[in-house]
Amino acid sequence: MAALPVPWPSVKMAAVEKRRPLVAPAASFTDSTRPSVSRAVASTKSEEDFLRQVGVTAMLRAALLKVLEARPEEPISFLAHYFENMGLRSPANGGAGEPPGQLLLQQQRLGRALWHLRLAHHSQRAAFNNNVGVAYECLRASGRKKKPGLDGRTYSELLKRICRDGEAPEEVVAPLLRKIQCRDHEAVPLGVFRAGMLTCFVLLEFVARAGALYRLLEDPALATADRRMGQAVLDTLEGALQASDGAVAPARYLEAGSRLGPDSLALAMDRALVARRPSSPMTREEFLEKAAALFIAKVKPVR
Amino acid sequence: MLSPERLALPDYDYLAQRHVLTYMEDAVCQLLENKEDISQYGIARFFTEYFNSVCQGTHILFREFSFIQATPHNRASFLRAFWRCFRTVGKNGDLLTMKEYHCLLQLLCPDFPLELTQKAARIVLMDDAMDCLMSFSDFLFAFQIQFYYSEFLESVAAIYQDLLSGKNPNTVIVPTSSSGQHRQRPAVGEASLPEGVEASLFSQCLENLCDRHKYSCPPPALVKEVLSNVQRLTFYGFLMALSKHHGINQALGALPDRGDLMHDPAMDEELERL
Repeated sequence: MAALPVPWPSVKMAAVEKRRPLVAPAASFTDSTRPSVSRAVASTKSEEDFLRQVGVTAMLRAALLKVLEARPEEPISFLAHYFENMGLRSPANGGAGEPPGQLLLQQQRLGRALWHLRLAHHSQRAAFNNNVGVAYECLRASGRKKKPGLDGRTYSELLKRICRDGEAPEEVVAPLLRKIQCRDHEAVPLGVFRAGMLTCFVLLEFVARAGALYRLLEDPALATADRRMGQAVLDTLEGALQASDGAVAPARYLEAGSRLGPDSLALAMDRALVARRPSSPMTREEFLEKAAALFIAKVKPVR
Repeated sequence: MLSPERLALPDYDYLAQRHVLTYMEDAVCQLLENKEDISQYGIARFFTEYFNSVCQGTHILFREFSFIQATPHNRASFLRAFWRCFRTVGKNGDLLTMKEYHCLLQLLCPDFPLELTQKAARIVLMDDAMDCLMSFSDFLFAFQIQFYYSEFLESVAAIYQDLLSGKNPNTVIVPTSSSGQHRQRPAVGEASLPEGVEASLFSQCLENLCDRHKYSCPPPALVKEVLSNVQRLTFYGFLMALSKHHGINQALGALPDRGDLMHDPAMDEELERL
């Protein structure tokens, strides 16, 4: 069972716990007339004991620390998913029942690893690397066969899952997978795993941004974009990526892309329209494939 | 998209921005109230359901008023719930009194204060004939402004009163200066007795208000826009203009445009299933 790599309580939780007795007597409906008045001190104490006993205190402490580490954009939705996964992970009380088969175990492990990988955005480098480490450990534990590391097949499956869940079209991500996949029975060291995960998530975000760009160009009636415009944007994107050549981290390409000033983009688009060549439509799939290809060209193959 | 600022905030500020602790505390309270029904395993399930319902905006149903007004998200969720539950009132073209709207509100929140409903009605009726009938859309949008921006409106009312009585909250009264310099403003009011206050002055005061205070206020640019169209305006005229402003409604994000008020395909689907 993967453990959360966070230190136990700190001052923060103490602050939250102190606040609880104040809130516990807060409004609740007894006779639907007025909110109940503050209860006796004794019952507040017993509530605290109850909470500690059933593990709520510890649970919330861990959850809060995770939120602070990940600093998600939407903390409430993050918490909902967090508890949902916790519910799935905890063995049902009184765990009688047959041990699940190998395939199910494998799926569970993948699911858990995915969950860890999604806890922090790839730009939060420390938190992301932490989570990658935990996910790696999670996948290594293979039960019967004591393999020294993660096997290529599981690694490939994970990559495919991430891309699928990230809603990137298969044709778009296939070239990437071909570049960074490992052979089925190869052992995948942590370094390769980490690089692969990072590249994957960055590509997904890149594709999402390209999709957003396309939506700006798209003619809503035709659901396609003018080819000249699309190509102009792609050319500018390529230029921005090349400008950052020599950068090591894949995430730098995202920064380069975002540095596409509206001016340079507007100029390129202007020029394209002025050229007055007959144009054919460019579909979203084609645009995304080409955009992704620009990024993938920069990725170093594993072998 | 990522907003990098939130990564640099100190822990408490980050949590406070999204009222994370408010919801965690409330979740624990709800748990305690239902503790007989929950097993060890069920706790994670309980919290999942709680936080999911917060995300979906259903968490405010039948809760006490103090909780409903506790966070901007709660207020917006409540407005949305009210709209979705009672839009058929609007569909049939019924006109209701303030008291009747209050009954509807109480169905969703048993201890909803009458005072708030009254204030909302005053906006629609321009502080006149309080037992008049109001259309659903008029009431709903006025109620939105009154409820979501309660604290802001209280300050605005105070500023308005000050301006009416000739006090400009912006000027610093220097005791030694000749009193003649401050005489002019009240003189304008006394001489021609125009209604309300001067829009540009009012606008300035509100700009300072928005800068100074943390609680939600409508986007300052839009408030300025509302005030730039007129020379003078009354308090309720101003509130009515806010409630009718399409941009402010969109910025708030709880209700659809006035024209789409009757349009709720998701709810219609739900009702079909019943």
